[in-house]
Amino acid sequence: MSKSYTITLEINRYDPDTTLSWIQTYHVKAGGILRFVDVLRKINDEQDPTLAWASSCEHAQCGSCGIMVNGKPLLACELLVKDAVELFHTHTFKLRPLTIAPVLRDLVVDLEEAYDRVHKAKPYLIKPAPPEPEGDEYRISPETLDIYSEATRCINCFCCAAACISTHRHFLGPNVTMANIVRLMDQRETAKEERMDMLYREDGVYRCHTSRACSFVCPKDIDISHFLALGKEGRF
Amino acid sequence: MGKTLTIDSTLRCDVLVIGAGGAGLRAAVAICEQIPAKKIIALTKVTSPQKSHTTTAQGGMAAVDPKDPVDRPIFHIFDTWKGSDCSADQNVIKKVCDMGWEEVVWLEKHGMHFSRTEQGRIAKRPFGGHMLNFGEEKAFRACYEADRTGKGIMDTVWAESLRYGVNFIAQCVATELLLKDGTCIGAIIFRYPEGKFLAILAKATIMATGGNTRMYQVSSNCRGNTGDGLAVALHAGLPVMDLEAVQFHPTGMVGPGILASEALRGEGAILRNKDEEPFMERYAPTAKDLAPRDLISRAVVQEMREGRGLFHEGHNAPHVWLDLRHLPKEVHEKKIQEVCSFFKRFVGVDPEKDLCPVTPTAHYQMGGIPTNEFGEVQIDAQSVVPGLFACGEVAAASLHGLNRLGTNSLLELITMGRVTGGRVVEYLRDAKKPEGLPPDAGRIVFDQFSTYLDARGKEKYGQIRDTLRNLMMEKVGIFRTEEALLEAIESLRELKERAMHIPIGTTSLKTNQDLWQIWELNNLIAVSMVIAQGALIRKESRGGHFREDYPERSNEFNYHTLVSMPEFNKLTFGKRPIDMSMFEAKGERFELFDYIKREY
Repeated sequence: MSKSYTITLEINRYDPDTTLSWIQTYHVKAGGILRFVDVLRKINDEQDPTLAWASSCEHAQCGSCGIMVNGKPLLACELLVKDAVELFHTHTFKLRPLTIAPVLRDLVVDLEEAYDRVHKAKPYLIKPAPPEPEGDEYRISPETLDIYSEATRCINCFCCAAACISTHRHFLGPNVTMANIVRLMDQRETAKEERMDMLYREDGVYRCHTSRACSFVCPKDIDISHFLALGKEGRF
Repeated sequence: MGKTLTIDSTLRCDVLVIGAGGAGLRAAVAICEQIPAKKIIALTKVTSPQKSHTTTAQGGMAAVDPKDPVDRPIFHIFDTWKGSDCSADQNVIKKVCDMGWEEVVWLEKHGMHFSRTEQGRIAKRPFGGHMLNFGEEKAFRACYEADRTGKGIMDTVWAESLRYGVNFIAQCVATELLLKDGTCIGAIIFRYPEGKFLAILAKATIMATGGNTRMYQVSSNCRGNTGDGLAVALHAGLPVMDLEAVQFHPTGMVGPGILASEALRGEGAILRNKDEEPFMERYAPTAKDLAPRDLISRAVVQEMREGRGLFHEGHNAPHVWLDLRHLPKEVHEKKIQEVCSFFKRFVGVDPEKDLCPVTPTAHYQMGGIPTNEFGEVQIDAQSVVPGLFACGEVAAASLHGLNRLGTNSLLELITMGRVTGGRVVEYLRDAKKPEGLPPDAGRIVFDQFSTYLDARGKEKYGQIRDTLRNLMMEKVGIFRTEEALLEAIESLRELKERAMHIPIGTTSLKTNQDLWQIWELNNLIAVSMVIAQGALIRKESRGGHFREDYPERSNEFNYHTLVSMPEFNKLTFGKRPIDMSMFEAKGERFELFDYIKREY
């Protein structure tokens, strides 16, 4: 077996029935290669079945398990115990729910409003160009696709929004703004004017203060601030 | 005892889509494209449809461009038939393969970012079992978006659903189908956040709840793929088909079993044993590492059994190697970027420099709720349930029979989603608005939830879950025998009983993860029982179902297994014939569409 660690988790609890919140401490012995989702499951199995947390694919492809660990927004599924110890130089971890959404219970948040903001970016092609020739596939060079394909990897986990110094009601958020910029860069989209209006309005890209926190925390290693910078420059 | 459970409120709509993944939302969009004014409610278990399991599909979607100079739809039809070990339905195969390219163009037109060739066209890669000229050499047939094709598809159908104003209800499950005089009129759903039951009355209901392989210790499926849709159908007295056909993908990452796409081998990766021998050459001399999944998974286990496997200390699990070291840097960085990052993060190896430890992982349910070629749910081999439709992994039309070829599932989601949506449009023309709830609405689910909330005893959820997952892996896995299956069935009876005695952590209904997971566990046990019983009566080996005591395919079993189980372990069995319309049409090379020998 690989190296085992004894770690301490201090987890924010919230009970929706009593509206009480408190911090509960759990001591867990866990193998270094366990993910934080495995550790939370271990707590459910061995110590406390009432602790609620969220996940789905558990390999960083759906973005359901975003939490704050020692203040850093990240995916609980891709943080291995040994990496956490190395990254934070400690065996004690403070787990809080993502700060950008209302808490339902413990670490589970309600992403409905956060996702409503994504919907506002109209992630589809508003007015697709006719393919050439009609009925056939578009001709898009791999070089053109390379310019923005990184941005299409976003899974809307909202880690960037949680880290962003401008995320409040006046900014749609890094992920949402990037979704709009992708379609501005996409040659198949012809509704550029509508998208520019969206980009430069009150809640748009200029609310970004260029802290680049989004790029530093993105679990998919997308350089989000790069795309926001292109948006500010109008380089699509 | 305990709480009185009630239906909080009733919603009405034209179409209820249970499960908002690739298939469910393609169906929803197909309906909107024809009749945009209809009210559609789509349910998802996760926080947004974008987070559905479809988004984890990696390698590609098979589709033959009719203008392709070397590939032809009939080759694809043949490969799917042969891949299924002669147990898929030929009318469905033909329909799906013929529609494939049209749907690729549809996806592209609606914003999907397919990878391109140097000429700017949609790029294609080879995949297991897909070949030219009726099995001669590998075909470039899988259209892909790097190694996140499922995400590209999911993002596209989700975004299109947004455009049309489909109403999403997130974080909920359908817990009971509403049937009145044999017609489906909607479902009872349970909302996780506020812990409320709602009734949804609909003229048409589409089941698209996806897969269910979380009952296996090593599984590529997401946490919520617990067979809920199948269990709900079984409770409603409906049959399920061919559940014994579980696909093990040969290359899951050692440990949890995260998928390492077949696209890796499509790009040239090679499986190696502990002596670093490329062992697939011995098992499939022509197709080698691109043989179908059932065959490769058995070969991997065979290597391990004969002492040529390896052992991963960290995960305490056996494995073989997948070698990607010789692939160009460009391929690592662009074409298989996601999987390479998964290997680095979850296994701690760098595929550019290191051999990658892999092991078979439970991946896909070939069987499901039986439907005809239009997505209408069947109550038996002849008749359908009015108002009820199914598509995607939860359904079995059946495109895959007892073994699915890689890239045919994304193809199925999109094509059968559209076909089902189209059929719903026709059905809605004369469909009546449901008058009201059946008098006993909620009986099944209230019984279940009351039992879980009132349970007393010393059993632990985690122990039962782990016992189930080990049991299914060991006894109802890649290799099966009568003895092991009988033991598994006995153990499943015990587990079901034990699951009735898990004391609940809290009786609150709001975001009660414990309650939610106990309901899921019961669904897993029910579906596992049908898998084991189906495997027991199919005394032959075919596709993903392999019986060591009956290692050959037998013509006696040239049919689909139908199983009903309205109450746990009270089963009735039926049969559905395999559609042989390609063979019977006596067209081009029709003799290949007979029950042919399957060699690669």
